[in-house]
Amino acid sequence: MRDKLKECIKLLKAKGVDYADCRFVRRENEALRVSDGHVDSLSRTLDVGVGIRVLSKGSWGFASTANVTAGDLKKTANLAVQIARASAMTAHEPVVLAEQEPFVASYQTPFKKDPFEVSSETKIDLLMQSVEVLRANAKIKTAEGGMRFFKTKKHFVSTEGADIEQDLLESGGGYHAVAFDGKEAQRRSYPNSFGGDFCTKGYEFIESMDFLDNAERVREEAVALLKASPCPDTNTTIIITGPQMALQVHESCGHPIELDRVLGTEISLAGGSFMTVDKLNKLKYGSDIVNINADATTPGGLGTFGYDDEGVKAQRTPIIKKGKFVGYMTSRETAPIIGKKSNGTMRADGWNRVPIIRMTNVNLEPGTWELDDLIADTKQGILFDLNKSWSIDDLRLNFQFGVEAAWEIKNGVLGRMYKNATYTGITPEFWNSCDAICNRNHWRVWGVPNCGKGEPMQSAHVAHGVAPARFRNVKVGVSK
Amino acid sequence: MIGKEKLFKKLEGVLGRSKADQTEIVYLGSESGLTRYANSHIHQNVFEDNHTMIFRSVVGKQVGVASTNSLVTSDLHKTLADSLEIARKQPENPGFPGLPGPATYQEINTFDEATAKATPKDRAKIVKKIVGVAGRKKFTVAGSCATSRSEIAILNSLGVRAYQPTTAASVLMIPMSETSSGYASGTGRRFSDLDVDGMVARSVMKCDLAQNPKEMKPGDYEVILEPPAVAEMLEWLNYVSFGSKPFIQNMSFLSGNIGKSVTSDQISIYDNALDEKGVAFPFDFEGVPKKKVFFVQKGVAKGVVYDRATGLKAGKKSTGHAVTANNSDDGAFATNICMAPGKVSRDKMVSNMKRGILVTRFHYLNGLIDPRNSVLTGMTRDGTFYVEDGEIKYGLKNLRFTDSAMRALKTVIGISREREQIESWWSSVGCMTVPAIHLGSFKFTGKTG
Repeated sequence: MRDKLKECIKLLKAKGVDYADCRFVRRENEALRVSDGHVDSLSRTLDVGVGIRVLSKGSWGFASTANVTAGDLKKTANLAVQIARASAMTAHEPVVLAEQEPFVASYQTPFKKDPFEVSSETKIDLLMQSVEVLRANAKIKTAEGGMRFFKTKKHFVSTEGADIEQDLLESGGGYHAVAFDGKEAQRRSYPNSFGGDFCTKGYEFIESMDFLDNAERVREEAVALLKASPCPDTNTTIIITGPQMALQVHESCGHPIELDRVLGTEISLAGGSFMTVDKLNKLKYGSDIVNINADATTPGGLGTFGYDDEGVKAQRTPIIKKGKFVGYMTSRETAPIIGKKSNGTMRADGWNRVPIIRMTNVNLEPGTWELDDLIADTKQGILFDLNKSWSIDDLRLNFQFGVEAAWEIKNGVLGRMYKNATYTGITPEFWNSCDAICNRNHWRVWGVPNCGKGEPMQSAHVAHGVAPARFRNVKVGVSK
Repeated sequence: MIGKEKLFKKLEGVLGRSKADQTEIVYLGSESGLTRYANSHIHQNVFEDNHTMIFRSVVGKQVGVASTNSLVTSDLHKTLADSLEIARKQPENPGFPGLPGPATYQEINTFDEATAKATPKDRAKIVKKIVGVAGRKKFTVAGSCATSRSEIAILNSLGVRAYQPTTAASVLMIPMSETSSGYASGTGRRFSDLDVDGMVARSVMKCDLAQNPKEMKPGDYEVILEPPAVAEMLEWLNYVSFGSKPFIQNMSFLSGNIGKSVTSDQISIYDNALDEKGVAFPFDFEGVPKKKVFFVQKGVAKGVVYDRATGLKAGKKSTGHAVTANNSDDGAFATNICMAPGKVSRDKMVSNMKRGILVTRFHYLNGLIDPRNSVLTGMTRDGTFYVEDGEIKYGLKNLRFTDSAMRALKTVIGISREREQIESWWSSVGCMTVPAIHLGSFKFTGKTG
């Protein structure tokens, strides 16, 4: 493949383009789903192709093909040049890329057990056993579990001389139970909702998740939710646990710091950002204990890689420092606008998509509290656990989240359970009300394998390292 | 585009090698271009040539699925063998109904030669026109313009031979001033059917009218929801309630309510993929002919869509709404959601309003808070207006709503006779066809800033 990619680069150089890169991607995916005592589906997918990105006379063109013969790649390269010429039909300042060392390198995800070498019987057994425990209560009407594995080979070459090969491996899974009593239906999941947890590791990650040890608790909590009280409609103190904290960071910090979005290039789908360039190094985003970094080197993070899809080395970038907004996630095109070099966050969802700025591992750094002490320190409040619903406005200011389960906190003790609990807020007001974050003992990286952005739609694999945290005077309980 | 005869010849050669009891091959091929613009210029301009073959092998009640996007014959043979190996390694699925037999399909013209030949230059010309009109008002504009040609083929060892070539085109625009934005979009099988001039005029007018928006206190208001807002609500109701799986799992607002009144009797919501005026398609991804299915008819809950597996579980026949075998975990899915039109013109709808809010569209809706009660939440976007004494008075800052769709749809005052086709996530095989609706009560629960 290297020779074919380099031939394309040679052709594009001969055509006098400003810049071009060719990206080969081969992605294998295995997905299993077990439902109510039988295997619902077991599938394997192989997806292979080449994407060619061309900058010509200051305008972008991108063409991609699943046909990877030398002839097809040449045709696709020529088409990318034609598309770049069409882009020039609307007047604009020519695109200028930040300088970048052209790396000749390789990267491989560290792992212990290749999940594609683990038998499907082993995977099915674990899921079947978990689902069996979930079903051991007549009120559980549905119990499902699943696993997904991704093996991705990438080869990136550019007109600047970059030549980078990467082998990435991702694993994940989880399960859920739906309880029904004739009137009410409630769902409870493990270890996270919407498919579980994911990371860049091998099958050892599945084995570390203690599926069987948690199934009984999940089952009983699903059943208990049927009789739980509705969440009260009030303003109160809230503690948010890990997976929901991850989504809170994702929606209210991760997306608004994407510099392409800030500059307006995502308006047509996902909207803009309130964290505009004039607010950089000025906005008090959160309280003094809030520190957030975008770190593509976090071990095992689902947003961990060696090089981004522009050939920029993975790195750690401060975003929020002692509550102050200090950084963006950038690309080679956007970074010069804030006087910087790219910090390596351009990724594409496969060979057939153009790279755009994507979250890496956007991590809320740990604080000092033990979770038990934090609950004990809370006189009145609600603890929110595992995401159920999410919504945020087109500037990433007004958000509303719902969770699978919540518990009243009274005089430092967890009390009754609440169902259909929601909380809502305005991003900087909310983060400035954060007065406690749990310590590294409670800090964990949660994978988000379905972050949507771009047109045509791209689904990115990203992650968030978080610990439970407390927020004051938050509006809760808006459900209808 | 490979073409029906050549495609069937190639895939039948592979199908003939299968050693499974039953075998299915689904072919999805497309060449698609999308031109994206922001800040009044093209910033992303992409083309994709792709084809995916999904193999499903069945041995007794064991089912295996494997897919590839390589058309190389040896890769196809390997993927077929992989699907058989996967099937043999797993326990029997007693809920698998077997593959369907041959069927006849409604003849629908879903292909337009001119749209199939649309070039990046053709799309750039449309963008240039939109940028020019918005620029005359000193507005910047963002959006996208897409064209594609695709072919879908389904073959199985029981004799299913389904083939359909399609084209699709869409355009979306968001003009923006310093303090406001507007919106318009359109989609269809033919590029030439898109009324770009009308859309630009409408979206620019909205952006103009919405300038210097005022705050509105959250509360319960009369509303007019324009077609994009209605489509976004129905898209979420489809996801959480109109498919077979949430219905069977009792998570749908239709679960336990069939035959009961759930909305105003002015409301009818259905799926109809066979109407050539929409983005039609004749069969599902198992090769079962599509049927028109009512979810709500004159206010009464009627049913949901099924594929063969979930149909068997519920004691129903497939309605022709299966997705591909590698995505079938979530059951059947409707792709051509429609709301029946009413009798009022959209202009008259505004003049009928004493005091209320007009919503152009929503952003980032979610329907998972309490799906059995059809609770939705989301923000308004790109043109929210205060209406008083039958006139649009001024633009409003964006508001969050949180409400039960069933409850709100019980308060219908009027439904427009005009409907719009709105592109959806599943745009290549369908779209939403919806009117504007005037509701007597809609709960806004928050605001931005």
